[in-house]
Amino acid sequence: MIKVRKLEKWFGKLHVLKGIDLDVNPSEVVVIIGASGSGKSTLLRCINFLEKFQKGTVEIDGKVIDKNNEKMKNAMRTHVGMVFQHFNLFPHMTVLQNVIEGPSQVKKISKAKAVEIGKYYLEKVGLSDKEVAYPSMLSGGQKQRVAIARALGMEPSVMLFDEPTSALDPELVGEVLSVMKDLASEGMTMVVVTHEMGFAREVADRVIYMDDGLIVEEGTPEEIFNNPKVERTQEFLSQIL
Amino acid sequence: MDYNVSALIEYFPYFIPAAWKTIEVTALGILLGMVLGLLTAFSRLSKNPLFNVPARLYIFVIRGTPLLLQLMFLYFGLRSILNLEALTTAVIALGIHNGAYIAEIFRGAIQSIAVGQMEAARSLGMTYRKAMIRIILPQAFKRAIPPLGNQFIIALKDSSLASAITIKELLLKSQQLASSNYYMMEMLTIAAIFYLFYTSIFTWLVHKIEEKLAVSGSR
Ligand SMILES: Nc1ncnc2c1ncn2[C@@H]1O[C@H](COP(=O)(O)OP(=O)(O)O)[C@@H](O)[C@H]1O
Ligand SMILES: [Mg+2]
Repeated sequence: MIKVRKLEKWFGKLHVLKGIDLDVNPSEVVVIIGASGSGKSTLLRCINFLEKFQKGTVEIDGKVIDKNNEKMKNAMRTHVGMVFQHFNLFPHMTVLQNVIEGPSQVKKISKAKAVEIGKYYLEKVGLSDKEVAYPSMLSGGQKQRVAIARALGMEPSVMLFDEPTSALDPELVGEVLSVMKDLASEGMTMVVVTHEMGFAREVADRVIYMDDGLIVEEGTPEEIFNNPKVERTQEFLSQIL
Repeated sequence: MDYNVSALIEYFPYFIPAAWKTIEVTALGILLGMVLGLLTAFSRLSKNPLFNVPARLYIFVIRGTPLLLQLMFLYFGLRSILNLEALTTAVIALGIHNGAYIAEIFRGAIQSIAVGQMEAARSLGMTYRKAMIRIILPQAFKRAIPPLGNQFIIALKDSSLASAITIKELLLKSQQLASSNYYMMEMLTIAAIFYLFYTSIFTWLVHKIEEKLAVSGSR
């Protein structure tokens, strides 16, 4: 589904990703953990080409994406949903309009069909009663659930989550994680950057520990959390657990 | 100093055509300014130097020189070359002048919309263009309304400078009438009343629009 090969990224002189190889298989949930600044967000953003990178390749659904081909990148992004730390909902649109914007404007689905899809996914995230609300009227947890519905509205084959609960008050984290758990159990392919170790243990098929632009260790939650082999992983986990 | 209050009433009707002239010059100038301003804002934001260098130069020259000079420059230059009417010349000058300021207003408003909005739109597969039109510009326009309103009021007052190139708007009218009736202060008062009337109405209008937009989901 996703194949990242020898990905390298510099911000000016700063070498942020130093050769990343990553495979994500259909229906797999991959959780990426690691210290702040280790390059987790940058990696996610390179996967859907929101960020340019200098070396390596990204293959999605069997196609190597050509970074100079805008059309190809746009087409690829319709299959790759993204959820941001700060939601980035469209503030001038209602909740329902946020969700149908992609299907109707990008996929050119008819308005009626798009509304149907929008309502379906809003129900899925438990926000049917907020269709006509504007994002400014919602709590953080509700905003993030709308953002998830917006991404799902495109009916993507994979979802990328960049610290979806980090901007939330602690009491609102649960509702977002629970939506993500449901998604995972329905077989959605997911790549999740998070500090929620409980979620990682429970939902991840594979946990990846990143440090300083490299994947240091990866394995099942069991392997990573109970028997980390690499010293740096052990140190990181002892600090946060 | 004598101040003849009854002259205010007596001469008020003589100002009506000039009052229309002021509106005409201002409205057309603003219209042209909006078109130029939008085009310039996009050129200025473009990464291509072919677009952004001329835009910068235009803004630099216009904001760095007085409007009165620009008016005269066009009046004695462009008008004679193209055989333009004085009114057309005034509208072009005001349009070019306001375009530079409006461009900066739009540019600021567009840049003030967080990059996250563009990224969210692009992550749905939107093209840059579509994201601009559907996501960024509607928010930017809303944010631009207060400074635009401000600029329009400045433009209204600035239209008085067109008197220097023979446009019979409010100020020139007051001068012409005063030169025959010698009620200088009174004629200026009438002109002032018109300006205050226009600016009050306009301020109120902008306020209403802001209120209305604030209702439909602020941030
Ligand atoms: N737009 C940017 N410009 C310059 N440096 C950046 C930018 N974004 C991130 N960085 C740097 O790249 C490194 C990795 O950042 P990031 O991928 O956000 O880490 P993480 O998500 O793991 O916290 C950090 O050192 C960060 O300061
Ligand atoms: Mg990050």
